[in-house]
Amino acid sequence: MSRWLAIGLRVASPIALAFILGFTLFAGAGYDIVEVVNGLWQGAIAAPGSLEQSIRWAIPLAVISFGIIITLRTGEFNIGAQGQILLGGLGAASVALLLPGWPPVLVIPLALLAGIILGALWSAIAGVLKVFFNADEVINTLMLNFIAALLIQWVTTGPLKDDATRGETASTPRVDRMFRLSDGTGVSIELILIVVVAALLAWIIIERSPFGLKSRLVGSSPRVAAWQGLQIKRIHITTYLLAGAFAGLAGALEVLGPSARLVTGATPTLGFTAIVVAIVGMLRIPGALAAALFFGGLQAAILFLPIVSRLPSSGLRIIEGLVALLITAQFLWQRRRRNQGQKL
Amino acid sequence: MEQFVVTTIRLSAPLIFAGLGGLFSVRAGIFHIGIEGLMLAGAFATVAFGTATGSVWLGILGAIAVNLILSFVYWLLIDRFGADMIISGLGLTTLCVGGAAFLMNALFNKRGSMTSAVRLPQPVVGPQEGLLAFVSELSILAWLLPVFVFIVWLLLRRSRLGLQIAAVGEYPYAAEAAGVDISRTKLIAMLITGLCCALAGAELSVGGLAAFSENMTNGRGFIALAAILFGSLEPIRTTLAGLFFGLADAVGINSQIYAGESNIPRQFILMIPFIATMIFVTLRGAFAHRRHSGG
Repeated sequence: MSRWLAIGLRVASPIALAFILGFTLFAGAGYDIVEVVNGLWQGAIAAPGSLEQSIRWAIPLAVISFGIIITLRTGEFNIGAQGQILLGGLGAASVALLLPGWPPVLVIPLALLAGIILGALWSAIAGVLKVFFNADEVINTLMLNFIAALLIQWVTTGPLKDDATRGETASTPRVDRMFRLSDGTGVSIELILIVVVAALLAWIIIERSPFGLKSRLVGSSPRVAAWQGLQIKRIHITTYLLAGAFAGLAGALEVLGPSARLVTGATPTLGFTAIVVAIVGMLRIPGALAAALFFGGLQAAILFLPIVSRLPSSGLRIIEGLVALLITAQFLWQRRRRNQGQKL
Repeated sequence: MEQFVVTTIRLSAPLIFAGLGGLFSVRAGIFHIGIEGLMLAGAFATVAFGTATGSVWLGILGAIAVNLILSFVYWLLIDRFGADMIISGLGLTTLCVGGAAFLMNALFNKRGSMTSAVRLPQPVVGPQEGLLAFVSELSILAWLLPVFVFIVWLLLRRSRLGLQIAAVGEYPYAAEAAGVDISRTKLIAMLITGLCCALAGAELSVGGLAAFSENMTNGRGFIALAAILFGSLEPIRTTLAGLFFGLADAVGINSQIYAGESNIPRQFILMIPFIATMIFVTLRGAFAHRRHSGG
């Protein structure tokens, strides 16, 4: 029990510190803290439609974080979720836009599958380069994010252009209403069911499958894993495929759900916030779900806050940044360790 | 043609300042992903302090102070409190993006972007003939770039500090055995990175336009990081990589202006730095042993 208390404290204390630092800054800048707290509460939970908005943002964060948990457990550091989401959205949008009038029972699974496959393949590029050429995955996934963003910019201003949009917010035409999984609120039985299935799958993969066991061994003690005769390369490639598949699914759900279209420069911070979600969730699925709700609420509040209080939404970005900055730090009661060359 | 060269230099300068600054950290074994945020903080702080004091030099000094503080906090977290450098670095960038937008709103009551009251002096302005046309309307910082490159080269390749930084990054145990204070060396390297990112940000915000906008860096910090890797962690090659990436950016912008003349979409030209870096990192990974995490 005290172990869980320690874990809870370890996660809660950096978050609390981030809020304290953020609120101190807000107070110093002359904002009314009571008003801000009220705005947070309203924007994330209390105001009509707020809870839906929190869940709407929790959905992609949770799904992406499942993939990130798998990679982090294998000891890999994939920061490419941002690009994989975009590719997932591209897959879903292409299928939905290129097969107009086809029966939804066919198109929706195909669109989801296309998103999953494109996301997985995009992630696998970095995986293959890492496994076979020893190329650093942090750099390559970072580069792939930029390439993906430019690719989507090209797609939305070229091949799949909607003539009514341009520039920073260029997008594809809207996906046919029949193919949508939710309306603009982004919350529906279908979407939640898909998230539940994804969570169960991820949990089984991590906690109950031979792959989960092997990947954890590869992550914690690669040398032992090698002595055991594990096929480390295959495990690494599978890890990247799975991570990309979950991120691609999240991207596909965005397009078939709340967004209805693929937008240039949409959700630029989602992939990054999902990393923080995975870590706050202590690399476990139930934890990640709870963390996704928390950060989904924060995201909903970011969009809501400027309406009710004078605090600009960037204020909450500061808190989000502080959480990420502090979350992996080991304070006072933890064993301090040097993590030179060691990732996470 | 002359205009194109000027554009290339102007786009390269922030990349080279940030790239050479980041080089100190990366050589010390810190994959400094917060460069993007530090550049943005530098750009904003220059405009903020410059507008408040009316002096561009005080603006740059203020930006340097802000970046030194941020770098010190980042060092404290990853070196003293064992925080993960990548996640904290991403957090640092988010903090700077949010912080700049928030303070712009709180201090100047502006949203999205603001104009700067000050601007860096430009030694040569207006239409010019001959060689001078290639440097017209470049800021004094861009003029000082060759000096800056030389100083960085001296520090990294010909000074005791540079040797210590390289030792800490490549052979930390050997460095420690030889009596090098690893923590202190990393701190110095990271402070230098912060200082240079302030210059990169200043060049970005008050070098040409004299304005700051929320997402002004637009990934340039990450491109600077790519330039370091593309430059094999060497100062001169990093400078050349910065010039090359600036050139790609300039070509991308020009192809936008002369749309129709070329069939290659602008986005594919803008992808070149990223693809080139991936290919390069892959080739290096294939032919060399991994030196340290993130290298």
